[in-house]
Formats: sequence, structure tokens, C-alpha cells
Amino acid sequence: MDSSVVQKIVKEIEKFTPSHESAHVGRVTAVGDGVVAIDGLSKAVMSEIIIFEEGKGKKLADSLGAQRELYGLILNLEEDGVRATILGDTSRVSEGMTVKSTGKILSVPSGEELLGRVVNALGEPIDGKGPFKNTTMMPVERQAAGVIDRKSVTVPLQTGIKAIDSMIPIGRGQRELIIGDRSIGKTTVAIDTIINQRNEPKEKRPICIYVAIGQKESKTARIVEQLRRERALEYTIVVDAPASAPAALQFLAPFSGVAIGEYFMDAGRDVLIIYDDLSKQAVAYRELSLLLRRPPGREAYPGDIFYLHSRLLERACRLNEEKGGGSITALPIIETQEGDVSAYIPTNVISITDGQIFLIAELFNKGVRPAIDVGISVSRVGSSAQTKAMKSVAGGLKLELAQFRELEAFMQFAQDLDKVTADRIASGVRMVEVLKQKNGAPIPVEMQVAILYAAGNKFFADVAVNKVTAVEAQLAEYLDGQHAKTLAEIKKSGQLSDDTKKALNKAMEEFQLAHKELFATD
Amino acid sequence: METAYAQALWQMIQSGTAPKKALSALHEVLALRGRTALMPRIARAFARIAARDQARSGIVLSVAQKKDEKLGLKAIKDILKEMSVKADEVALNVDESLVGGWRLEGRGRLVDASWKKDLLSIYNRSIA
Repeated sequence: MDSSVVQKIVKEIEKFTPSHESAHVGRVTAVGDGVVAIDGLSKAVMSEIIIFEEGKGKKLADSLGAQRELYGLILNLEEDGVRATILGDTSRVSEGMTVKSTGKILSVPSGEELLGRVVNALGEPIDGKGPFKNTTMMPVERQAAGVIDRKSVTVPLQTGIKAIDSMIPIGRGQRELIIGDRSIGKTTVAIDTIINQRNEPKEKRPICIYVAIGQKESKTARIVEQLRRERALEYTIVVDAPASAPAALQFLAPFSGVAIGEYFMDAGRDVLIIYDDLSKQAVAYRELSLLLRRPPGREAYPGDIFYLHSRLLERACRLNEEKGGGSITALPIIETQEGDVSAYIPTNVISITDGQIFLIAELFNKGVRPAIDVGISVSRVGSSAQTKAMKSVAGGLKLELAQFRELEAFMQFAQDLDKVTADRIASGVRMVEVLKQKNGAPIPVEMQVAILYAAGNKFFADVAVNKVTAVEAQLAEYLDGQHAKTLAEIKKSGQLSDDTKKALNKAMEEFQLAHKELFATD
Repeated sequence: METAYAQALWQMIQSGTAPKKALSALHEVLALRGRTALMPRIARAFARIAARDQARSGIVLSVAQKKDEKLGLKAIKDILKEMSVKADEVALNVDESLVGGWRLEGRGRLVDASWKKDLLSIYNRSIA
């Protein structure tokens, strides 16, 4: 044995004082599908953590080096017993096993040490980088901040996505739903938002928490690697409850994520939390509820499925100055089936959140990425958090795009259209191109303002539609290299003053002169 | 349904009704309702309730070696008083895996003063 371990054991023995440990206990009467029925535990409380006593009757030598303790979570208090879910390997529990009450509500560790780490739904590290040493335990279930403790949303949270920051702005403390069919870029929007936070000054940069619920391990691994590559992992915590994890852990993961976030919010920091996705959490909760024999309701979901999501999302808020001024911005993701947003879970979450970003398969297949339908996407509180500069360039954008979508159907008969309509269609087509964006390439807000200013001033009117994206990229590069001062001014002041406008106009003229070949429509 | 009948029967007996009388009353009710076929299932449910009650009310003191019994009984004196249990109600059990000390379990409580618990705790703290 390692001599340091021997020394530790000697020290432990030296300071040892015999004591007895007292606990309320019960006995497992039935076990199956991750749920146990326990007789006894008369003093148990809801959401209390229990420990399954596996070592009873086992020899000391067999108990040494055994797997870590197996925990359970009480979910039903019944007349003559309790029902609990096993937070781990079900096969380790057997009938007749003694169960110890801990008197503790489920808590997860939180703190600076968690930054850059991947943890499971119980807050245990699963990235092989070793255990946490200095953390604070945060309760998984906690009452959301009250009305008096809250402040309205006024500070923007930049996603780095032009279509969102301009037309569906998000504020710190807001809950904005990302909804759409499978594989059309919901996670990409969320991850780009995390990556974009690196453009924020360190003291104002939100702590990001990505909660993966029921996802494939390979997808989560890919996301972690992307965040690491983009230098975003250093301010991000990943909570992973993969598809292979028990339903109980998938149901708990979002609550663990927000509990970790609350530590930072209480310390006056801003937090961005992504729940990817809540439809899978709802399915896990349905499974658990049916196993707990709770009465099923619509689509077999339990009666409290709305409360499950509302109590989770209510914990996202912005606190007032007396409470430290911290915030949690939540971006829950919901996956729809065949674009059906009127299903049970989507309608529930839509009604809870402060707006939603709709991603449409049709746009995705047309090559419009991010495939955001700005016509039906909405942000109910974010506009008050938008900078003046962005407001001034994005004011009429939503209307212009809506009108373009109306006229789009007539495009194939363009020769019969009057000049005004034809111009509007031409402008709309180019605006759609301008709003396209590659994944993993969020754009800083000052650059977005400059590009949208250019688009709004018909800068791209003479550019061939298929070249708009390339010209936009060249313009961005040019502005970044030659007019960094103007961009810095927009970022600093958050406004688009007359001088800044003049500087941008001048920059655009210079660019046009230098790249005449790009400004000739075919 | 049989559980509800069994619970009713159990409560009658617990409240002082003679078992024979309680059983005949139950039979009478079942006959009136045409449910006498439930009788064997009620009997099984009743046995389960009785077993559960036995498990709940029973109290066991485990010691590592037979010779530790006296020491154990002395150590749990105050605990038994607190639990309103008489010493003669305690069943004794020898469990060598405890290594030393004692362990009292019953009536929804577990008091563990075994050496095994202490040694495991020292080991776990040392390798952490």
C-alpha cells in the first residue's frame, strides 16, 4: 500500500473516537424498473435522499473498495410506506434490503471548480479529471425567487446570431424557447450562443450551463469537444444525463443544472442555461410517474407535467440589486413531431416561456440556416434589452421579411410584377441571404449592426443573390481590419451616432470602389 | 380489494375484538355481498400485514460474538428507554461481519455502533 495512504490511516486512527450512528430505516418490499416500494421510513419527506444499505451481512474485506453508496430519491409518500426511484444501478437493490433515511434533500455541488467540467445529474464529475475539492451544496428543488426579489429584463444576452439578435432579442433573465423538428439546428443555435459569450468582457460574461437530457453520448462528446476547441468550455459546465441513464436522472438533470446556476446567480453573476431538451425530460418523467402508479392524463403524462416545467423555468430570472443583481437566462429546447407545435408539451412550454424561436424544416431544406421562421418567432421581453444601435438597424427588418414571405409566392411570375413589388422581392431575397449564418460562427454584436446597417442601406442591392453571403463575409473582414475603431465605438456606446453612420457609409463606399466586380447583378 | 378487507380485519383485532368474532363478522359481510370467494386472498393479505407489523415492531440487537451480548445490552439501555422498549423484547443475533461493537435495528430505527462501520469510514476517508 502507498505509504501516504498508510500515514493517512494512522492519522485517522489516532483521532478516532468511537460513536454510534443513528438513522430512520425502512425495508425494500418491491423493486422493479428503477422504482422501489419501501415499508417504513415514517419520517421521510418528499425529495429526500435515501441510502440503500448493501453491506449488511457482508464481510469487511468484501465491503472494502466496493462501489460508491447507492442512493435513492423519495417521490411518493404513501399510507404505509414510500416509493422512491433508484439513482443508479437498479440491479444492486434487492427485496428486504435496509434503506437508511438521510434527512437531506437532494443537493448538487456547485462552485468555480465546476467550470470546464462535465458532471452527471447528481453533480458527480464524469470527465475523468478527478473529484471536486471545494464546492457548495445547492438544493436541487428550490423555490423560485419571489416578485419582490426580481428586476425586469434590461441587459441583452447576445447570441451572435443575426436573425435572433436583430429580430428576436434575448435579455438576461429571460426564458426563450427554441422549438422545432429533429435535426434542424436547435442545438446549434444554443451552442453558438454559448460560444458567442467569449466576445463578452470576462467580468460581464455569463457562466454557461449546457444540460444534455436523453442525448446520445456521442453527441454530447462532440459538443464538449466543440466548446473546448472554441475556448468556450472554460466558462461552461456540462450536465449530462444521457439516453442510457435511468429515467430518474434524466428527469433530475435540468433541476441539477439550474441548482448549479443558482450558486452563481446568488453570487451576483449572470448565467445562461440550455436545457437540451425538455421533451425528453417530460418523457422520462412520464415513465417515472407511470411506474410510481400516478394517474396518467393527456398523452399519458401525469397531471403535474406543467408544474414540472413551470417550476423549473420560473427559477430563471433577474434578481434586483439587493439580491446581488445576478440572473439566469434559460434557453429550453423542445423537439416537435412533424412541426406540430400544438402537441401537449410544446404548448405547455410555449405558455411558460417569454417567447420562442421557431425553426422550420422547410427553411432548413431550402438552405436557410439558421432555419428560423422570424414571422412566428417572438421575444416578449427582449426588445427592452436590445441596444439602441441594434434597434435602429433592425427596426423594420421583421416587417420587411414578413412582407417578402407574402410576396415570395409570386416570385415565379416576376416579369408581371410592378417595380415596387419586384424591388421588395429582390431586397427580401438578399436580406434572407444576409441573415444566413454558418454554424459555430457567431458574430459579435457590433459587426451585426454594421452588416445590417449596410443591408438596410441597399448595400447588397447590386450584388448577385448567390454572392451575397461571400460579399458579406468580405465586408465583415474589411470592417474588422480597416474600421475596427468604428466597430469598437458601436460596441462601447451601444448606439449608432451620426458620426458612426458617416464612418460606416464611408467604409462601404471604399469597399464598393475596391471591389467593383462584386457589385454587378447578373 | 382484498387488502382493504384484510386491513379492516387487522384493525378490528388490534382494537380489541376477539379474532374469532372479527372473522365471523367479516364472513357475514362477505356473504351478504356475495364475495366469499375473496376469503383466501384476504387471508394472504392479512398474513402480509401481520408479517409487516412483526417486522416493524420487532427489534434486533446484533453483536459480533456471543460473548459481546451483555456489553451490547448495557450499551443500548438508554436507547431502549428512548424507544420505550423493554430489554426482554430485544431479539439477539450474532453477526460476525460486524467485527466488533453492536448494531440495533427495529421499529424504523437503526443504531450502528459496529467496528465494521468505523473501519469502513476510516478506510473511505483515507483513500479519498
